[in-house]
Amino acid sequence: MSEVGFVFSLSQLWHVAGGQVILILAGLALIFVDIWLSARHKSSEGTIMGWFTVFALMATLGHLVFREWPLHDIVFMGVFSAEKFSVFVSCIVLMSGILAALMSIGYLRNNSLVRGEYFILLIFAVYGTIALVQSVDLLMMFIALEVMSLAVYILAAFLKGDQKSQEGALKYFLLGSFGSAFFLFGLALLFGLTGTVNLTILAKTLSAGIFEQPGVLVALGMIMAGLFFKMALVPFHMWTPDVYEGSPAVITGFMATAVKAGAFGVFVKLLFVTFTPILSLSGQPEFFTTVNLAALGAYWKPVLWWLALLTMFFGNLIAVSQENVKRMLAYSSVAHAGYMALGILAANAEGRMGVLFYLFSYTLMNLGAFGVLYILDGKERGAQTLEDYRGLGFKYPTLSFLMSLFLVAMAGLPPTAGFIGKFYVFSAAIKEGYLLLAALGVLTSVIGAYYYLRVIYMMYMKDAVREIVPGPVAAPTVIALIITALGVIYFGILPEGLARIASIAQQSLAFVF
Amino acid sequence: MVTLTHYVALSSILFGLGAIGFLTRRNAMILFMSVELMLNAVNLMLVAFSEFRADMAGQIMVIFIYAVAAAEVAVGLAILIGLFRHVRSIDINKFNLLKW
Repeated sequence: MSEVGFVFSLSQLWHVAGGQVILILAGLALIFVDIWLSARHKSSEGTIMGWFTVFALMATLGHLVFREWPLHDIVFMGVFSAEKFSVFVSCIVLMSGILAALMSIGYLRNNSLVRGEYFILLIFAVYGTIALVQSVDLLMMFIALEVMSLAVYILAAFLKGDQKSQEGALKYFLLGSFGSAFFLFGLALLFGLTGTVNLTILAKTLSAGIFEQPGVLVALGMIMAGLFFKMALVPFHMWTPDVYEGSPAVITGFMATAVKAGAFGVFVKLLFVTFTPILSLSGQPEFFTTVNLAALGAYWKPVLWWLALLTMFFGNLIAVSQENVKRMLAYSSVAHAGYMALGILAANAEGRMGVLFYLFSYTLMNLGAFGVLYILDGKERGAQTLEDYRGLGFKYPTLSFLMSLFLVAMAGLPPTAGFIGKFYVFSAAIKEGYLLLAALGVLTSVIGAYYYLRVIYMMYMKDAVREIVPGPVAAPTVIALIITALGVIYFGILPEGLARIASIAQQSLAFVF
Repeated sequence: MVTLTHYVALSSILFGLGAIGFLTRRNAMILFMSVELMLNAVNLMLVAFSEFRADMAGQIMVIFIYAVAAAEVAVGLAILIGLFRHVRSIDINKFNLLKW
């Protein structure tokens, strides 16, 4: 590890990881703000804390987007990197955090849950996710993964009076820590075999010849298994439906988007920086013979092939049999992970771009759907099961229209962003010759369309059996729903701009060194 | 003579025992302990590698892992108590409100 000679410089820390600094400071400040507010202004605590969180996250987003480009030195101390790929994924995470914070203000009020630590934990969860995506060191990756997970475990258990929430959180905690133990074991083995845990040095050491030793393969497999838990690919998904059903609705939306974006982002980074480095623009490997490492593809590609297939099939098939709409969306998020895995499997520029685009559009439509879902699920007499959604279409036209829009986007129908994302991912897979898998994937997305459209059918074509009273709609939630709805339509009609940015972002993985 | 292989074998066995315990036992506390056993198996291996490679980085990693493990236990026990208030049991077979 000592061969590089890292120099600490405060300005470089601000340049590379300034967003993280802002988030930590905001999180710490919020603790004091909370103490002050709960003593004096108890009634407006939730609103003030919520807006503080939104502005802190927007400041971070501003720092990420509006700093000087190009950065002269994108790696800080061999721990964090700020290449465009991690900046793009960080932006997705921040967007998800901002939307979740906006919706939380209304959600907490509706469920009389206003507690200061909620927003503090939300900020730290966002911080952990961003640190995870930015890290280029396996140990930092583990610590960031745990910071993110610990905050999310507590958020998942936030409904104290609800047994489902507690049960889901415990399952999440147990399986999450089981998964990270595997990640750690892989880390320790790699450290023993190569003497480093830095991704770029690791890539050089591995390509020097020992990459096909059984010990190295076991280590890589265990690190990947640890990440598969977080990405919720079948058969590592057991916790997903339980946690997503039990957690507060907004937190479910956050977990399904930000945490997933973080896990997928870091997986792509690990895969294409260390295990199978992408070649530089000229097609020539720059620093070492990356061609050697291409041999590793023969090991992870078949694994990912099967995982993508199983995830797409099980996610969609089991979702069909769900009666609870929230649980149905949980299985649908498992299925979406399968489509993103398909894009990673393609392992070409278009596939990586497709994954980024998919993550972005999925964040918009999923958070939007959970926003509507929490409003419809009012405190008493709220809509939870599919039967409850009968006849809502004409009683609450705006909410039902928004729900339909998000569901259509998730089903992948044009003219929504969901269609474009699926299109990029599938075309990338076909280009690389995964014809069978792509065909099966399209088949599963037809199954998916069935259960998404069934909700819309229930809302507009059936008569209500019992009266549903949605909760009050808070102004911040309206803002969040407008942003998500416009985003889903805008990026469905004009995807080129976002696609170009995503394509530049994925190419930057070649320059982490 | 105790060599590196012995340490790696010992920590692998401990890790395996932890994993088997996690998958077969039904008491939530034992599951916690199994995960802790797995983490400590990793710590043992890191210290052994660190000694073998004469690189202190491995031992520093152990400190980080300790800190994370401590935080993890604090959160996990809190969640378990929250659930115990509802179910009055820590048998994970009784946590069956959510399935399929």
